[in-house]
Amino acid sequence: MMLTLIRRELLDNLMTFRFAVAVFIMLFLVVANTAVLIKDYERRLAGHKTEVQKSRKYMLDGKTYSVGELNIDRPPNPLSIFNAGLDKRLGNEIWVYYGHVPTLWDAEKHSSQNPFMNILSSIDIVFIFEGVLSLLALIFAYDTLAGEYERGTLRLVLTHPVSRGYILVAKYISAMVCLLVPLLMSLILAMFLLTTSASFSLSMPDFLRIGGIIFASIAYLSVFYLIGMLISAMTRRTSTALMLSMFVWGFLVLVYPNMIVAVIQPSNPPEERRASVHNHIKQIWEEFERERKQFLATDRHLEGDPYGNMRWRGGYNFEHFQDKASVLQHYYYAGAEIDGFHEEPESQALHVQNYHRFLVPLIIDTAERTWRIREPVLEELFILPATIDRAWLRLSPTGIYDVATQALAGTDLQGMQDFFTAVQQHRQSVIDYYYDKNAFGSRQWFSADKETVDWRTLPQFIFQRSDISLNVQRALPDLFLLLTLNIVLFIGVFLIFVRREV
Amino acid sequence: MWHIAKRELYDNLNSLRFALTMVLLLGLMLTNALVHLQEHPAQIKKYRASVAVALNALRSRTDLYDIAQRGPGLLYKKPSALGFCAEGGDTLLPDAVGRNDTVWEDGELKSFWTMKYPSTTPDLKNIRSDITKVDWAFIIGSVLSLIALLFTFDSISGERERGTLRLILANSIPRHTVLTGKFLGALISITIPFTLAVLMNLLVISMSSAIRLDAEAWGRLSIIFFLVLVYMCLFLALGLLVSARVRQSAVSLVILLLTWIVFVVFMPSVLPSIVSGFSPAPMTADEFQERIVQLDRELLSKYDNRLWADETLKTKQVRSEYVTRDAEIQERLNEKHLTQQIDQVQRARTVSRVSPVTIFQHLLELFAGTGFERHLQFLENAQRYAREYREFVIDTDNTDPESLHLIGVREGMSQKPVSPEAVPIFEDTFSLSRDFNAAAVDLLLLMLFVIVLLSGAYLAFVHVEV
Repeated sequence: MMLTLIRRELLDNLMTFRFAVAVFIMLFLVVANTAVLIKDYERRLAGHKTEVQKSRKYMLDGKTYSVGELNIDRPPNPLSIFNAGLDKRLGNEIWVYYGHVPTLWDAEKHSSQNPFMNILSSIDIVFIFEGVLSLLALIFAYDTLAGEYERGTLRLVLTHPVSRGYILVAKYISAMVCLLVPLLMSLILAMFLLTTSASFSLSMPDFLRIGGIIFASIAYLSVFYLIGMLISAMTRRTSTALMLSMFVWGFLVLVYPNMIVAVIQPSNPPEERRASVHNHIKQIWEEFERERKQFLATDRHLEGDPYGNMRWRGGYNFEHFQDKASVLQHYYYAGAEIDGFHEEPESQALHVQNYHRFLVPLIIDTAERTWRIREPVLEELFILPATIDRAWLRLSPTGIYDVATQALAGTDLQGMQDFFTAVQQHRQSVIDYYYDKNAFGSRQWFSADKETVDWRTLPQFIFQRSDISLNVQRALPDLFLLLTLNIVLFIGVFLIFVRREV
Repeated sequence: MWHIAKRELYDNLNSLRFALTMVLLLGLMLTNALVHLQEHPAQIKKYRASVAVALNALRSRTDLYDIAQRGPGLLYKKPSALGFCAEGGDTLLPDAVGRNDTVWEDGELKSFWTMKYPSTTPDLKNIRSDITKVDWAFIIGSVLSLIALLFTFDSISGERERGTLRLILANSIPRHTVLTGKFLGALISITIPFTLAVLMNLLVISMSSAIRLDAEAWGRLSIIFFLVLVYMCLFLALGLLVSARVRQSAVSLVILLLTWIVFVVFMPSVLPSIVSGFSPAPMTADEFQERIVQLDRELLSKYDNRLWADETLKTKQVRSEYVTRDAEIQERLNEKHLTQQIDQVQRARTVSRVSPVTIFQHLLELFAGTGFERHLQFLENAQRYAREYREFVIDTDNTDPESLHLIGVREGMSQKPVSPEAVPIFEDTFSLSRDFNAAAVDLLLLMLFVIVLLSGAYLAFVHVEV
């Protein structure tokens, strides 16, 4: 009986114009967009590669420890094709300096691309699914009950000894099968394009992540189909059902996600808080500066300026405070690369070495102290509003779906922070390496006259995207939410349909 | 005809879609106004503060050499009072140009100020959710166009399904009158909720004391209102066309939604990417840096042995020439880089004009004084000011008879203190006539779309078999 019902519904749906349109538009949009996205990814990957080479060259160019330019470039995430999330938007070039703990907000963007191009919008595959898939689901659902009621066929069906639940399940299953055809076809074609592109090397976990995204897409599709069914069960006329469905779609997909983020803007931007914390950090560095001056004053060989008494032959030195109030950035930046001296200042060099042996650990220590203040405030100023956004977005299935697929693709905030945590760890290992080599107290710290630094023994930066289990763990609450929504909606449809008079 | 329009109107006024449209538009417009009230004063405050800092720095200089060498500092873009109409990606565009840091220093010679254009994107640190701003461009471009389709998809096919079309046509009215009546009826029934929403939006905005809309702003708003009407006509005509061609209203809706998705989602975002992939890319920041270094080296090799030969007047002339040439070369390269970047964006924007939604968006940005065209205007203003500033330096130097008239060398320029009031000040202006010129093509295209679709709807309706 069930099979007969499903077959009937399936045939009904498959032979329709809307099915042909659904298949056509999904294939067209997804394939055209994937081709563009692949090209974009390849360009970003090429940019990343040249940047890595460039920063390696800069690093090897540094002759002393103190001028070592350790730049790390964030590789683009191949799954950003599915959901770009923050992957394209955030800075991808981060500088590792012992005197500053690097964060997401210290990253810069290497500008291989025309900066004006940012104003042109770009979309990813999940965005197409969000809009088009939900619309298709509603178009398939609006007349499934109201239409039969209008035509009077519902009465005919119900004269048979079938329970109403069966009818609902049969309708649901057949429509979902029909909707899965365009979804899976377009995804298979997209995957085909991905695998033919040479720059994509997708690993097994990546395929599992894509599987997770497909699962989320199916759950999302089902939510909208059930919403359509609910509307169809509640109304008596197909035209009303259609109108209501379209407005519900417009509200949930188009209006709500954009409106809610605009409305819940932090009412008064915590400028004062930012300013006071920035001042606090500055004070800590001023304290550091006093200590430094004091040290210089006590050593009469240095006379306030460590390089002042040396007669150099070429080279440069610099020392200043870097400051960027908007992201609470403030630190002391110093370095020197002296090519040689006119006369051998052996004792003088020893004093300067001594100065650095004192200074650099103090810088590191001060950086740690400011970091302990900066970290919670960054969290409060930047991460908290973003988390609140995402919480509110979850009131629309589109928001849930977006957040879930971002987490699966690893392009969400946590995925980004994984990278910066790895950079922070790398900084720690570089500092450890300096301590091991006794680099601060060595002559190579500031002068390249006798020996230059061998950068090749420096620990390498390795970043691996988080484990698939972690991605799933992050996406799980939202996936669960989607599934619960499905069940709740189905029960709702069932209850309304059972009580309905035919 | 008016009878038909009135009938349509009454039909619509009692319908569910009219009520839902009303609620949706009022909600969106209210959100838009409230967000603008919150954001705009902060924007203005920030602009004024930065301008004041730049101005103070400029006024503090009295030495002509300093004025010429360090330049006027950063020039800021004035935020538009009509930012609520179209945001236009302003957060992604730089809000200032020009910089005054010394590039090189050689003894007493210093590099001269040149116009520079920032190559970084602001708003990088934003980790909040990626959303479309709820401005008029979004409310009208996406939401209202969808509503226009929902009002017309069944206006002919629905009547045919119900059989009432036959009844109407049995009367002695020509078909085009029926079509016009239906068109006007739908137009009026959408204009009512839209106008109410707009009035509420403007009322909320103009009631606030922090924002003052001047006469020009109201003029621009009325142009925008006219544009919206044209844009609505376009989508109503599209709806009528499809509705007349198709027998079932469900099929008509599916086709219309598909077209809508292609216009709103696909064309504006995918076409520009495809085109920019094929068009020549501007030089990257690295290539630009390399080129600057190379040009510098070439220039220096030409002058190097003559620069510091002695302290005669002739050597000073050489120095002055060197500094001026260097500034010229830098400026030219900067401008070339900028032009290349602008060209690439312009090509991409031209192609995306295939979609009426993009055309409408461009027009709205233009008249709201935001977005890319506005940025180009700002750049023009800044470049004009840079010329004025240089002329001022030369003129001031020329009026001093004791000066050697050697721009670029401290002792070669006038030593008289310059009064701070005499230095020209940058003022970013909006020009409505320029906007009209820039809008001409877009306006024409939009009109063309409307005419083609309307005549298409007419032809389709004339040939309808009842």
